[in-house]
Amino acid sequence: MLDTLTPTYTARFDENSQELSLIGSMRPQHEADMAKCLQVLEQSLRLVRGTLYINVKRLVRVNNIAFRILAAALVNAATERPDLKIKIITSSVVGWSTKKFGVLSAVNANLIIEEYDNEFYPGQTFVENSDFIHVLRTQTKMTWRHERSILPRHGLKPGMKVADICSGIGDFAVLMQKEFNPSRIVALDHSKSSLAYARGVAEEFGISGIEYVYGDASEMLLEDNQFDFVTCRHALQVFDRPELILKELFRICKPGGRVYVTNEKNSHCLGEPHGESIQWTYTEVAKLWHHFNMDIECGPKSRRLLQDSGFDKIQMESFMVTNLDGDPQDFADIIESWKNLFAGDMAKQRGDSPEFIERFKRGFDDHIFAALHPKGYAGWPIWVASGRKPL
Amino acid sequence: MNSRAEPSEKTNFALLLQFDMQIDGFSSNWAYCDRLSSFVARMIGHNRTDSLLYSNLFSSAFNELLETAFRIHAPGSDFVCRIWRKGPTDRIELTIPCDTELSAFYKDAVDTLGESNLAERYHSALFSDGPLQPSIGLMELAVDYKARLSIAAAGDRAIQLVAELSLEDVNQ
Ligand SMILES: C[S@@+](CC[C@H](N)C(=O)[O-])C[C@H]1O[C@@H](n2cnc3c(N)ncnc32)[C@H](O)[C@@H]1O
Repeated sequence: MLDTLTPTYTARFDENSQELSLIGSMRPQHEADMAKCLQVLEQSLRLVRGTLYINVKRLVRVNNIAFRILAAALVNAATERPDLKIKIITSSVVGWSTKKFGVLSAVNANLIIEEYDNEFYPGQTFVENSDFIHVLRTQTKMTWRHERSILPRHGLKPGMKVADICSGIGDFAVLMQKEFNPSRIVALDHSKSSLAYARGVAEEFGISGIEYVYGDASEMLLEDNQFDFVTCRHALQVFDRPELILKELFRICKPGGRVYVTNEKNSHCLGEPHGESIQWTYTEVAKLWHHFNMDIECGPKSRRLLQDSGFDKIQMESFMVTNLDGDPQDFADIIESWKNLFAGDMAKQRGDSPEFIERFKRGFDDHIFAALHPKGYAGWPIWVASGRKPL
Repeated sequence: MNSRAEPSEKTNFALLLQFDMQIDGFSSNWAYCDRLSSFVARMIGHNRTDSLLYSNLFSSAFNELLETAFRIHAPGSDFVCRIWRKGPTDRIELTIPCDTELSAFYKDAVDTLGESNLAERYHSALFSDGPLQPSIGLMELAVDYKARLSIAAAGDRAIQLVAELSLEDVNQ
């Protein structure tokens, strides 16, 4: 790995992935200040075959002095190496980037611009589905009954700077704001529809002060050491590389601050009557998510994940959302929408047989039955873990 | 064809921020362009729909204006920067000390922004050999950020450069 550091930007080439990452800010006064960047580009060109990836997802600022130098070097590389494709990966999160780099492909067709946005984790289409967005409301309403008293045990206090990363439709941020009156609160997600929904809700209810931010949790533009308390709920389990998100949660957290995550272990959902059918179905749910590279069994692994990411003073506990928390119909609604998503789109996409799907659905129906039955009991367990960023 | 949109009348704009500096102080350190643009962008991005996205776009656009002023000004008097807002539009006003020749540069640069081949001229400036064209930042603002630029005299030793930006629309 070649590594070059200047005060404002990093240029790093990773030979395994043939990726040159340019990170930070390039606003030099003189063209000569771009020498380091050009040097790493040249070195990478010597080592690559086929496709060179230039990752500018976190190149947040570039002035025209820098851009001209970079553009000339890339055009030059494309001309001298017609065997090579050069893919420049931009991000929709950096608003100017795709347009600015876009001009390169008109100059040489081997300079290809790709905006990293859609399809960036395997389950994205399911998670951003609008029915699913809706169920997050009911889920948060039910988990809040528990988390409201759990959060202070993990260090959340009034007046803190907090961030909810992978905030979905933003209800949790609203609840934290009401209950814990933070001095700053950021809610970040990579789903534009969820953010639009969140902003709509905030406007409708006259809630102000929450900064809703579009971003990728595994490569955030938020600065280092900003927050006292960072939450990330039910999201490590849908992203295929949770360690990348944890690394970022660690980075934006202040030393001495805490990161709080919640995750599920769906195979442990339970209910009576019809316990066996319910258990069978949720064991299958876990396999189904696994098929799409998501680990819905992640809950009990949270302790290890936090440790491996450098946190200390780890605290962990679990709680169970049940049909006895408030209105049993709420619980039943959650299960109904799981059924629609899991036994609908996801199972179909995996290519499951009608017989399987029928049996698969039955477990959800039994879970709903248990939830609404006057003598029934239905549960959904959740694991909470938090860790401190060492001082 | 002359299709350039002129900035609107300055009625109903609210003043958000104002900085007064000595131009000599400003132009003593290149890093001021970056710092000032980033600071202002963070301040005024706050109540936009997506503050981070907005600040980042604003900072990029504003920085190009500041870099232009850094390179092209006359020494010895005040450099004033005002930011105004009306609804979705932010208006940047820079008062830049200029002698006759430098005023002519700004006037010429802004005048030609209305020409129909502007995008081509901007792209060829990006890929040209030789030194940077000093008007490249203004062209970029007009092409990529759909900025409405204008220029007016501000006394006989300065010009006022105005750029109006509606960045939330640009990003749609
Ligand atoms: C299951 S939802 C949970 C949402 C919310 N925390 C809640 O509990 O209601 C997972 C969320 O993670 C978001 N997400 C997944 N990967 C992400 C990433 N890399 N960056 C930002 N958001 C991401 C999805 O858009 C989705 O809103």
